Amino acid sequence: MPNITLSGVAKSYGGGDYAVKNLDLTVPDGAFMCLLGPSGCGKTTTLRMIAGLEQPTAGSIAVGDRVLDSVERGLYVPPEKRGMGLVFQNYALWPHLSVRENVEFGLRMRKVPGPERRARAETALKMVHVDAAMDRYPSQLSGGQQQRVALARMLAINPTVLLLDEPLSNLDAQLRLEMRAELKRIHEESGATIVFVTHDQLEALTMATDVAVMKDGELQQLAAPMEMYARPANRFVAEFVGSPPMAIVDVAPSPTGLAGSLMRSIEARAGQCAPTAVGIRPEALRLGTPPGTAWHEEAVVEAVLPAGSSWTVRLRILDTELYAVSYTPVEAAAGDVLTCWTDQMHLFGADGVRLSSWDRTEVGA
Amino acid sequence: MALLTKPETPPPPSRRRRLVYRLRVLRHDPTAALGLILVILLAYLVVAPLIAVLSDAFRLQYGDDVHAGQQPGEWTGYYMWRVFRSQISGLLFWEPLLNTLVIAVGTTLFALVVGGGMAWLVTRTNVPGRKWLAGALVVPYMLPSWTFSLAWLSLFKNERAAGQVGFLQAQGIRTPDWLAYGAVPIIVTLGLHYYPFVLLLVGNALRRIDAQLEDSARILGAPQRTVIRRIVVPLMLPALSSAVLLVVGRVLGTFGTPYVLGLPADYRVLSTGLFQSIRDRSTGVASVLATVIVVIGVLIVLTDTRLMREHRRFVTVGGKGAMDRLSDLRRWRWPLFGLGLLVFVVSVLVPVFTLLLSTVTRTPLDLSTFTLDYWLAEKLPGAVGFPHGVLRGSELWTAAWNSLRIVGLASLICAVAGLLIGYVVVRGTAPRVAAFLRQVSFLPYLIPGIAFAAASLSLFAVARGPLPALYGTTFLLILVMAVTHLPYSSRSGIAAMMQLGREPEEAAQIAGASWWQRMRRIIFPIQKGALVTGIVLPFISGLKELSIVIMLTTTGTQLLTTLSIGLVDYGYTQLANAVVLVIALVSFTMTYLTQRLTKSSLASGLGG
Repeated sequence: MPNITLSGVAKSYGGGDYAVKNLDLTVPDGAFMCLLGPSGCGKTTTLRMIAGLEQPTAGSIAVGDRVLDSVERGLYVPPEKRGMGLVFQNYALWPHLSVRENVEFGLRMRKVPGPERRARAETALKMVHVDAAMDRYPSQLSGGQQQRVALARMLAINPTVLLLDEPLSNLDAQLRLEMRAELKRIHEESGATIVFVTHDQLEALTMATDVAVMKDGELQQLAAPMEMYARPANRFVAEFVGSPPMAIVDVAPSPTGLAGSLMRSIEARAGQCAPTAVGIRPEALRLGTPPGTAWHEEAVVEAVLPAGSSWTVRLRILDTELYAVSYTPVEAAAGDVLTCWTDQMHLFGADGVRLSSWDRTEVGA
Repeated sequence: MALLTKPETPPPPSRRRRLVYRLRVLRHDPTAALGLILVILLAYLVVAPLIAVLSDAFRLQYGDDVHAGQQPGEWTGYYMWRVFRSQISGLLFWEPLLNTLVIAVGTTLFALVVGGGMAWLVTRTNVPGRKWLAGALVVPYMLPSWTFSLAWLSLFKNERAAGQVGFLQAQGIRTPDWLAYGAVPIIVTLGLHYYPFVLLLVGNALRRIDAQLEDSARILGAPQRTVIRRIVVPLMLPALSSAVLLVVGRVLGTFGTPYVLGLPADYRVLSTGLFQSIRDRSTGVASVLATVIVVIGVLIVLTDTRLMREHRRFVTVGGKGAMDRLSDLRRWRWPLFGLGLLVFVVSVLVPVFTLLLSTVTRTPLDLSTFTLDYWLAEKLPGAVGFPHGVLRGSELWTAAWNSLRIVGLASLICAVAGLLIGYVVVRGTAPRVAAFLRQVSFLPYLIPGIAFAAASLSLFAVARGPLPALYGTTFLLILVMAVTHLPYSSRSGIAAMMQLGREPEEAAQIAGASWWQRMRRIIFPIQKGALVTGIVLPFISGLKELSIVIMLTTTGTQLLTTLSIGLVDYGYTQLANAVVLVIALVSFTMTYLTQRLTKSSLASGLGG
């Protein structure tokens, strides 16, 4: 099975604004690729262009060596001939057809004979565990079941490429957790290349093999989830991925307060680079006695928010408020003064691009 | 890790390459072609007639060259002068305008008082039989509007016009002209037809007002009367203004009633004046009159939209306590029920029974002269133009078949066009096409039907280009009827498609269905219900339609409504009444069944 290649893809709805700007993206064969970004970043437009429901203003889209769109060469394959699967955010089940008929529809369009059609529909429905509701109508199903039927409808045609548009956003928290695991399983079982769109960074981190973060129609970073978490390419990615978000302190040009404190520590060690901002992940900000060389400062506790397995603490350090997450109980009350420290910082340059990490293992990397 | 830095805007491919690509895409998606076809059709059927009527108003017609001193076809202000400033302009325009205004104001007041009062009675009080009254009081709207005027004639007609005198005159009581013809009877009969409009619009608004709004005022210390004056009435203003403008707009274009009750006493209104000008073949004058009616109609609707927009901030979303806070009428319960019943009796039972009795008695309403001749007789002595009972001979059946065929086809075209317009608008591949379709399909709503019919005559009466003259053909009737009902069906088509959204079709597209398969297996099956109501509502209203068809029918294409008016012209009162009863029966039954089967409300068909 082939890669999906987008090269130089742009989409404008007229008026000089671009929903997607000059996008180069390769989805490796068999990947579970997530397009992640805030609403309006062009991720859904990108997905719909891959499906053929929207047409690019420039660039080309290909699966393997089959060109689906090429503005330059005047090539276009309509959605119905692309043989992909697409699950819509609101499922888009056909209300006048039963679950079985919904799932059989794609096979019917492919002129698959009756008995085989039924068998394949049943297999698909079994795969998503709604085979019991086969003869009901979509309106008689719960949201989670509808979602599964929408998935089965696409799985039935055995697509090599399966596209999912915010598939979990209309489900409640419990079902969402369940469906995440389910989607991962289906990805492995079907072997399809999956591209899915979400604005939920947790969904991206937990499910995807590759994450592409987009902002204002531009690709910000393409990486494996943990790689992206550990080494965000720029300030935007750093702040968008992770919850609570990374605290970023501007340190240029003449830092005072917390910024000044951090800079003194960095300059003492790193010397060479000149960051304009320093980022600290909440779980990297520790409470208690610092080990030897780590940066440390006095912090006033403003609030403690216990969540069972973790404790989120809002701290005021000099002139700045930031969050720390601890996985051991925090025995402090508002107003207490603690020492906090970190040995992991992310340094960002003037254009917001990440310069390096600063921690004990990779000083000056 | 891949880090990407890109130029802000990509270098766009050349115009030609983009065009080639665009065409390749369009070849696979017929929506654009469909949109284009609809645009051309609408431009031709809606916009072109208006341009034609306007140009007729300012171009000298053949035969007028001697009076005007210009060559035929030249641009001229002759007709404007004739209508507005000449010696006969009083007769042609100013008097009919004044009469129209008098009738519009009178009818509106009548409808407001009766409809508003009844709306309050059935929505906000504990009057006995509330539900029944709410249904019964809408019935007058289901009858053709000039049913009432024929009933009026059966009661009050004097010997001034040809044909049999009315009941009172037959009893030896002389009915004065002002009671038999002219403003008073027109206002009363139109008022009785249009008060359900007000009832429905105001009733809906009353029902939607959140009782918590009133409660809040009460808790803050306002007495009941202040609550009504400061809270309820201001909140009702949008609905009231809408109702007023709707009634005025309808009265402006109504033809049947002023024709039946006005003309025998030379009481002219704009619509009957327009009709006569066309009958007299004074095309120029007719075009000016039609233009005036169009302008007034457009002004009315624009005012309505403007007011509605200003009142948008008043939109109150009904909360928990939105409904069923009823005033206790106490000892007034039964007297007020009596009043409601009286309105029903006067607006439904009296006219219908008067008509019915008049068709089965030789002397009006005198049961000792009972006869079924007017329905069944092989031969009616004295009636030369229609010498047998209505159910005999072929006239009624031909007219009924014509009505069914023409109105049915028009409704079908209308409903399908409405859905297709909705489809193109929602697909949104071409925003400008969508905007055009949305606006132009709504345009006929602004134009009183009789003026639109006159405009269509301007365009289609003579051969233009490859098109032959269409006057007198059923084709023209179907077209014009479909176009005048298009605003309602395109609105409901757009609403239905909006509600469905694009996804179900896109899902089918992804699943591999071609455009025809998507239409056949997904879109039309899902929209089956919308299609049926889209056919039935225009059908019912088209069946009662007179203002439009009176201009366009000839003896060859008689419809039920024009047959009835023709019989009035001959003075065959009983026969005309019988035909109207047939129409009323069909239209009432269909409306009732539709409401029962589809649970759709009549109010949605008002387009108000």
